This record gives sequence, structure tokens and C-alpha cells, in this order.
Amino acid sequence: MIFTETKRYYVERRVNERMAATGSHSFAGYFGLLRVNTQGENEHFVNALTVNETYFYREEHQLQCLSKDLLPERIKKKRGTDGIRIWSVPCSTGEEPYSLAIWLLENWPLVDHYEIEIVGSDIDTRVLQQARQGIFGKRALMRLPPELVQRYFSPSPDDNWQILDDLRNSVRFSAANIVESAETRAHGRFDVIFCRNVLIYFDDASRRAAAENLYENLLPGGFICLGHTESMSRISPLFDVRHFADAIVYQRPLGGAAHG
Amino acid sequence: MPLIRRPVDRPAEESRDSGHTLNSLSHPDSDLRWRAARDARGLIGADAAIAAALLIEKDPRVREAMFTSLARLGTPVAVEAVISGLRSDDAGLRSGALDTLRIMIPQVHDLLPKLLADKDTDIRILSCELARSLDGAEATQLLCRVLDTDPEANVCAAAVEVLAEVGGPEALASLQNCALKFSGSPFLSFAISAVIARLAPQSTTRA
Repeated sequence: MIFTETKRYYVERRVNERMAATGSHSFAGYFGLLRVNTQGENEHFVNALTVNETYFYREEHQLQCLSKDLLPERIKKKRGTDGIRIWSVPCSTGEEPYSLAIWLLENWPLVDHYEIEIVGSDIDTRVLQQARQGIFGKRALMRLPPELVQRYFSPSPDDNWQILDDLRNSVRFSAANIVESAETRAHGRFDVIFCRNVLIYFDDASRRAAAENLYENLLPGGFICLGHTESMSRISPLFDVRHFADAIVYQRPLGGAAHG
Repeated sequence: MPLIRRPVDRPAEESRDSGHTLNSLSHPDSDLRWRAARDARGLIGADAAIAAALLIEKDPRVREAMFTSLARLGTPVAVEAVISGLRSDDAGLRSGALDTLRIMIPQVHDLLPKLLADKDTDIRILSCELARSLDGAEATQLLCRVLDTDPEANVCAAAVEVLAEVGGPEALASLQNCALKFSGSPFLSFAISAVIARLAPQSTTRA
């Protein structure tokens, strides 16, 4: 993650919060904690700095593209028992992977014909806990039609809504730093990866490393969807650009490796 | 409700020893070399091993991974290896090196004046391009020195091109002197006049 001068206040505030939480009287003292990762402080520090703004059905045009174009193309490559794997990374508090599940249930005619595995991953372990709980406020649900809220959520205290257990139990959440191949590789390979609005926070070298990791996590012919302001072409030459009616996505070439 | 099946846990990747990884940098299988180029980053001696492998690597994808790892390592050995790529006769290696140096500006920053004065004309031309990534004032200062001292028209043209984008009014004097120095080069004269036209109003405004 890189933070420019414009984010100084943001960073300072969060560092001060962590210093207070750890009882550190000076930055030098707190920095010492980070260096030896006292009581897992590195994880708390990263959690404090990550930005987690999302809602259901964000950038819906990409979901349209998923059901209309990407999955139909992927299933042409599938043999009888092959499943479909979709990765949402970073998944934040779960809105995106749950959105994928709901979208496919509502919009993909072949949803019952395939075993669909949806994995949500994030570097922030705190948001992963929230994702597993599946409780959301009105703001997160603002783009969902009321009938979908009624169908897939149950009311929860404090004007919140909790996603149904069936859906909660069908999405796997895991920790992952997409810049570290040791963490991404363990997740296996996917048909489609949603990696939206995170690469913009990295420095150039980390961005390239993340792109290489995501390439490795794609099956040959698999697709990756970025945020609508992002372009993989400026990051890495590994992917082919594909233009569909609803979205521009990036594809690992079909001639790509059977491994690595 | 239609079913979304609970996913099956996948086994974690087995760990590989460092010797195996470094040796794989020269494996006949390009996929294994690609993976090794990425995995080697955390290993002792990775910078030198990747640097050596890069010299003989022909696969563009593997080269890219090697360059990325060298950029992330950022050690003096890694920096030198990438700079060496600029000197290659292989155009793919040169362009890969240039792209990588663009993302290694913090590590290359102090070396830029030396690169801009390199005895190899092509290195000086490519280094002008690297100056584009600097702060405007710093880029202007470095590139003005090029305009003032470089005897090659093509190098000065490269500097002018970058100044067109990032240069400030401080470059006007050097641009004018360079135009006089290369008055016999119509292209350079035209390019310089275009940049002067862009920068001169800024100078008036600031005055």
C-alpha cells in the first residue's frame, strides 16, 4: 500500500489509534512493536490502514458480464464434472462474494448445472470476521431491489440485515495478501477473479507482483475483472484484453501453462 | 434454494528448498523458470542468481517475472542487473529493463546523473526517459545539463521530448542554447521551438 502526502492525516490518525491501543508512548516505541510483531500488532496495523468501502451489486455491469459472457465462455472448456471457481479478492466485509452468489442465483440460467465455488479473501482479518457473520446495514444494501433483500436476508438488530445461513455457509473466506505468492498460490486456480479497486493502492513493483500472482491463480482462459478505472495493460503484459458488451476484462491466454 | 456447493479445501503448496528454486531459474521448462523467478525473491543470493539468469533468458514472460523480482529486491546488485539490461543488443531486454527502471526510480535516482553522462549514446537516450518520472524541477535541472553538455543531437532530442512534458521555464535558456548548437538539425530546431512556445508563457506569468 502506498499513501501520498494527501493521505497524511489518514495515516497519522490510524497510527495514533494503534499507539493508544498498544499503550505506546512514542512512535519509536510503537515502531519497535511492529518490528517484532508483538502480539500480532502487524496484523492490527494493516487492518487499521486498509480501506474497506463496498456495497452489494457494486459495478453491476461486471456482474452482467459474468453471467452473460464470462461464464458461458468458461463452461465451453469444462468437462462433465468440472466446477466453476470464482475469487473475490479483496472481499472486504463480504458484499462482493455474496453479491456474486446472489447474482448467479438470480441471473444465470445454468446455476444449478455446475458446482460453483466462491472464495472471498482479504488481507484484513477483521473484515473477514465480519464477512463470515454476514450482517449488513442499509447502506450496503442500497443497490439491491427490495425483493432480493427479502429473499436472501433476514432482519437483524439495529436496523441491520443478515444474509441467509445457506449463503453464508456456501462462501469460503480466507486471508490473503495478493502481493505474496506464498499466500495466493494456496488458493488454487480460478475461472474468474474479481480484484477491484485495490491495485491502485500499491506501488508499481507491488502492482506488477500482484498481477503475476493473479495470473498464476487463473486457469488458462480465465478472466480477471478490475475496477472500472483500472487497467491491467498498464501493469503487466501477461493478460489479453477482452471487450464485452458490458465490461472490459482481462484474460489469461489459453495457451498459458498447465502449472505456474 | 438452488445450491451453491460448499467449497472443498485445497492442499497448500509444498515448500521448495532454496537450492531447487535457484536451480530452476535455468530449467528447460519456461513455466518452472517463471515460477522460480518469482519464488526466488525471498532467498539469499536471489539478486545475483536472477541477474545471471536474466542474461540468458529469452522467454518474455519469464524475463518479466525476473525484472519484477529484481525491482522488488531493489538491492545494488539488482539495480545493476536491470541497468545492464539497458546495454543489451536484445530490444526486448532493453525495453524490459527500461520499464523496470521506471518503477525503480527511488533506487535509481542517485545513479541518474551518471547514466545521463554514460559513454554509450543509447544509455543516455534511455536515461532521459527515466527522468520523466522525477519531480519536474529535478527533471528540468538534470535534462538542462544534458542539453548544455551532450554532443549528440539524438540525446538532446530525447531530453527535449521529456522537457516538453515535465519541464519548467528554468529550461528556456538551455533550450535556446541547444537550438543554436544544433542549428543544422531541422527536427531538433522545430522540437525546441515547440517546447519554448509552451514554456515561455509560463515564464511570463511567473515574472
